[in-house]
Amino acid sequence: MTMDEWKHNPIIKPHKKRSWYLAWKYKLMNQRALRKLCQVIHSQARGGLGRIIWGLQAYGADVGVETGAVLFLLVTVIVNIKLILDTRRAAYEEEEESAQNYDDEMLNVEAPRHPVSNKKVLDVEVYSSQSKVYVAVDGTTVLEDEAREQGRGIHVIVLNQATGHVMAKRVFDTYSPHEDEAMVLFLNMVARGRILIFTIKDEGSFHLKDTAKNVLKSLGSQVAPFLSWRDMWTFVGKKGGEVYGEKHAKSPALSTWGDPVLLKTEVHLTSVEDAECHWPDTELNRRRRRFCSKVEGYGSVCSCKDPTPIEFNPDPLKDNKVFDVPVAVIAGNRPNYLYRMLRSLLSAQGVNPQMITVFIDGYYEEPMDVVELFGLSGIQHTPISIKNARVSQHYKASLTATFNLFPDAKFAVVLEEDLDISVDFFSFLSQSIHLLEEDESLYCISAWNDQGYEHTAEDPSLLYRVETMPGLGWVLRKSLYKDELEPKWPTPEKLWDWDMWMRMPEQRKGRECIIPDISRSYHFGIVGLNMNGYFHEAYFKKHKFNTVPNVQLKNVESLRKDAYEAEIHRLLGEAEVLDHSKNPCEDSFVPDTEGKVYVMFIKMEQEADFTTWTQLAKCLHIWDLDVRGNHKGLWRLFRKKNHFLVVGVPASPYSSKKPPSVMPIYMEPPAKEEGAVAVPAVAAAEQT
Amino acid sequence: MQKVNKNVVLAVLSLTSLVFLLFQLYYYKFHLSQKNGVVFSKARGSQSGQDSTRWHVVRKFLGLISSHNIPVYLIDPLILGLVDKDIEQIRSSADGPSPECKYFCAPRDFTTFALLDKAWKHEVGLFRTAEKMGFQWLKVLNKDPRLDGMDDLSGTEIPLHYIFKLSSHAIHLVVFYERSGNFLWHGPLRLKQHVDRKFVPFRKLHFGRYPGAYEKPELLLVSIDDLKVQIPKNPSSFLEEMSHSRFLECRYREARAFFQVYPDDASFDAVEFRKKAKSLLHLAALTLNNLGVKFWLSSGTCLGWYRQCSVIPYSKDVDLGIFIRDYKADIIPAFQKAGLPLKHKFGKVEDSLELSFQGDDDVKLDIFFFYEEDDYVWNGGTQAKSGKKFKYLFPKFTLCWTEFVELKVHVPCETLQYVEANYGPDWKVPVKTWDWKNSPSNVQYNGVWPVDEWDEVIQIY
Repeated sequence: MTMDEWKHNPIIKPHKKRSWYLAWKYKLMNQRALRKLCQVIHSQARGGLGRIIWGLQAYGADVGVETGAVLFLLVTVIVNIKLILDTRRAAYEEEEESAQNYDDEMLNVEAPRHPVSNKKVLDVEVYSSQSKVYVAVDGTTVLEDEAREQGRGIHVIVLNQATGHVMAKRVFDTYSPHEDEAMVLFLNMVARGRILIFTIKDEGSFHLKDTAKNVLKSLGSQVAPFLSWRDMWTFVGKKGGEVYGEKHAKSPALSTWGDPVLLKTEVHLTSVEDAECHWPDTELNRRRRRFCSKVEGYGSVCSCKDPTPIEFNPDPLKDNKVFDVPVAVIAGNRPNYLYRMLRSLLSAQGVNPQMITVFIDGYYEEPMDVVELFGLSGIQHTPISIKNARVSQHYKASLTATFNLFPDAKFAVVLEEDLDISVDFFSFLSQSIHLLEEDESLYCISAWNDQGYEHTAEDPSLLYRVETMPGLGWVLRKSLYKDELEPKWPTPEKLWDWDMWMRMPEQRKGRECIIPDISRSYHFGIVGLNMNGYFHEAYFKKHKFNTVPNVQLKNVESLRKDAYEAEIHRLLGEAEVLDHSKNPCEDSFVPDTEGKVYVMFIKMEQEADFTTWTQLAKCLHIWDLDVRGNHKGLWRLFRKKNHFLVVGVPASPYSSKKPPSVMPIYMEPPAKEEGAVAVPAVAAAEQT
Repeated sequence: MQKVNKNVVLAVLSLTSLVFLLFQLYYYKFHLSQKNGVVFSKARGSQSGQDSTRWHVVRKFLGLISSHNIPVYLIDPLILGLVDKDIEQIRSSADGPSPECKYFCAPRDFTTFALLDKAWKHEVGLFRTAEKMGFQWLKVLNKDPRLDGMDDLSGTEIPLHYIFKLSSHAIHLVVFYERSGNFLWHGPLRLKQHVDRKFVPFRKLHFGRYPGAYEKPELLLVSIDDLKVQIPKNPSSFLEEMSHSRFLECRYREARAFFQVYPDDASFDAVEFRKKAKSLLHLAALTLNNLGVKFWLSSGTCLGWYRQCSVIPYSKDVDLGIFIRDYKADIIPAFQKAGLPLKHKFGKVEDSLELSFQGDDDVKLDIFFFYEEDDYVWNGGTQAKSGKKFKYLFPKFTLCWTEFVELKVHVPCETLQYVEANYGPDWKVPVKTWDWKNSPSNVQYNGVWPVDEWDEVIQIY
């Protein structure tokens, strides 16, 4: 290789210099390692050169033949120095520029992923006592509960058998009835091979029935069948596999608890491949796999053999007017509810998954996992304030975000995580939403009829106008939210219920909501802020829920403000007046007919006098906690498959329909001492 | 012996240095070819005259996205510039094969396409197919600005840019989002730390230096260079729009901090005023946009946007700025037609023009006209009773888009300087009593109107 050849190399042509610099400029940062390497090389090269130069000085004069070599070495020196200068300068420029531009100023460093430990054995510690339980896995506490008056019963933890991650945490208060059934249900849903950890806090045997004990026995527990009052118990085992340990302390006497027990054991991990199902590699199954390796307790969705689908493809709706309406799902930390809710939502005809956003109140992981399982988008919300105000702020943030994300939307559908959605939910909205757009006197469309119980709702094609706002699956008009509600939404320090606030006359301003006779949503949640088991049983369980697809709503136009009045007058004109001498609470009050229209008149002194109505609602076993479903002093429901109208006299404008001979029925509220059971009293004076 | 030794030493040294030299040159070459592929590929392009690589990559890309039913449209400014020259011909020409490759063969590093976010589901399948076709791809995520204004929603990240690279050419796919205010928005391109900065020469991208705001374009399906693509129906107006598209996000974080110190007024009056100011601003924007008059948020309205991302509830009016060169005589009749009668008119077109229109319930719309000098701009003020003139000086500024009360409006890009000129360094502190003659820090006394002109320059209705 001669020097000429080197000189001809375009790389060291001086006029190319500019493009080197350009190139350096455009080269973006972050190759420190590479740069370091070349710096090392440079310094070595420099050292080498130094020695060469020194060598030249020492021997240079010696031989003429060596001149060529000297020249050659000189070229080396020049190239070297140039290279060093270039590199330095370019590196400097580069650093400067990229600091200004194109770099994420937030320094969004991705958190380093936790290396999956290669350890094959987990140390598990489980503690059971009267006042405290804890579970530690490899020294990390995964459960600790020493709160007083809380967490009683059997705590269950499910670990992934390959990674040791906690997949589910539950507590079943098996001191109370029916909780053992829930536990059996849960344990049956857990996949084979998972590691189950049990520990009792306080008491867990009182309502632990044989079925549940047998399930525990089948998991390998030897003590479970004999668990008794205030025994302490810990158990670690693999579902359908070996037992890793069990400890038990019997309660010596009724009044005392068994001694605390601490179980220390080792669990052998399996390989990831063994812990996962071998579903075909599709987009859906990848979502499923991610979900199923993280959480437990969702049953057949994670079944290896025949997993339940996570994509539903319900029939599209013809002429769907709500396809582009965003759907906001308001959720808390009840992932199992959310799972059930989203399943029903995604199965409803005409659903558009792209318009669905789930708003999670708090940084909870599991609800987000559920959202991702279904391929939907979810947004987490930093909790502000407490209790009701927290829910209220979450609603506000969710609604604002919904209209920000879908700026074209004129409406938003608002759902909650504890609702089942009827198969014709969107069909119902598609047929009625134009009313909300055109009729200014409307406040909302709601899928829920407060008075629509099994025995009081009949006609899936029938709609009402009501002065109350039922919520539980409803449509909000953007202009209402943006112009009226959002600017004056209750601030966090006001501990108000958002729905109560929305029902206040200052907000509602006399506007009404459209509701169906048979609800298009079903409220299944029993664990909620304002809920308990009794309350749910009494007020929600017997609620009617439409299961008929494609219901053609009848006479939607008659729901407009004026048309509705005409419709009511027509109905009242055709209605048969019931015998007011009978007890309205008795079944015999309404004749044994079908498809007829009946009317009764109750006393209602002025607009806000709901004394008689409340008593009537009580004895009819419908919503009586406050007044719902009224329209100008008129209530519409069904009794024995007959349309049943109740008119409040004289406050209602429909009072004129009352024949003069009929005395409106008055029912007295029970005296305070009488307790909760209302005995309807028909005033003798009413019988003329 | 010694001589032999010397020669040996010299030879060894030469060899060593040769090895070093080779190594360095190798490294140099390697290094350059990595990031300087641009230069080389350009050279190659100019040799062959045309770069059919690009055409092939674009064709492959269009095939990829159409197989996934993703509607994209071409927004590459260089191609649209060429297309615009031949737009009539392109519109009318049938599908017949084009004689030469005119548009997609000019050697470039990128071709830029746009994608409407709502027009596709974020399917992973697209990227799998892309990989199978040989594309390397890069996704640039960032916070969702539509949720940024809300203090407590976790910043969900959304894809803002995609880059699909195949051989020496890359497709830059810009994702457009719909924003409140009926416009499209694209985000800035910011690389996170772990991203390969050499993936493509990012600095050459036409989109991504700043976020941008655009009207929703009408699209046209055309066939250019035998490729069927959607383009903006009017490429020249798109290019014009592009040159002024820079978007500024409201400073939500600072606004939150402001409200921490000065809690927001949630009284009935404040809520009502905000509502009225918002609808007045919407009406004013509609009126001026219809006339094609460019305007921006000025004075208190601008301060409200910059400081707290909302209307200042005690400001009692809405303030807009317009460059006097954009003045149109139709402005007054247009506002009157929109139901906003003229309240007063101070000054004249040549000097210190200021218009004031009466909105509903005492909310006033003030329009200040700005006069440009060599190194500053100013607007005028007039005291009705004395005929005194005032002059408010501002440093020169350019206009950016922003989103304010569900409206796409202009604000000065150099907002801080603008606000500081007007309100001084303490603009962060709310001041409820404001005297327009004395309070502003940029006010100058500017003489008195001659009495004989008063009828013209001081009109109060």
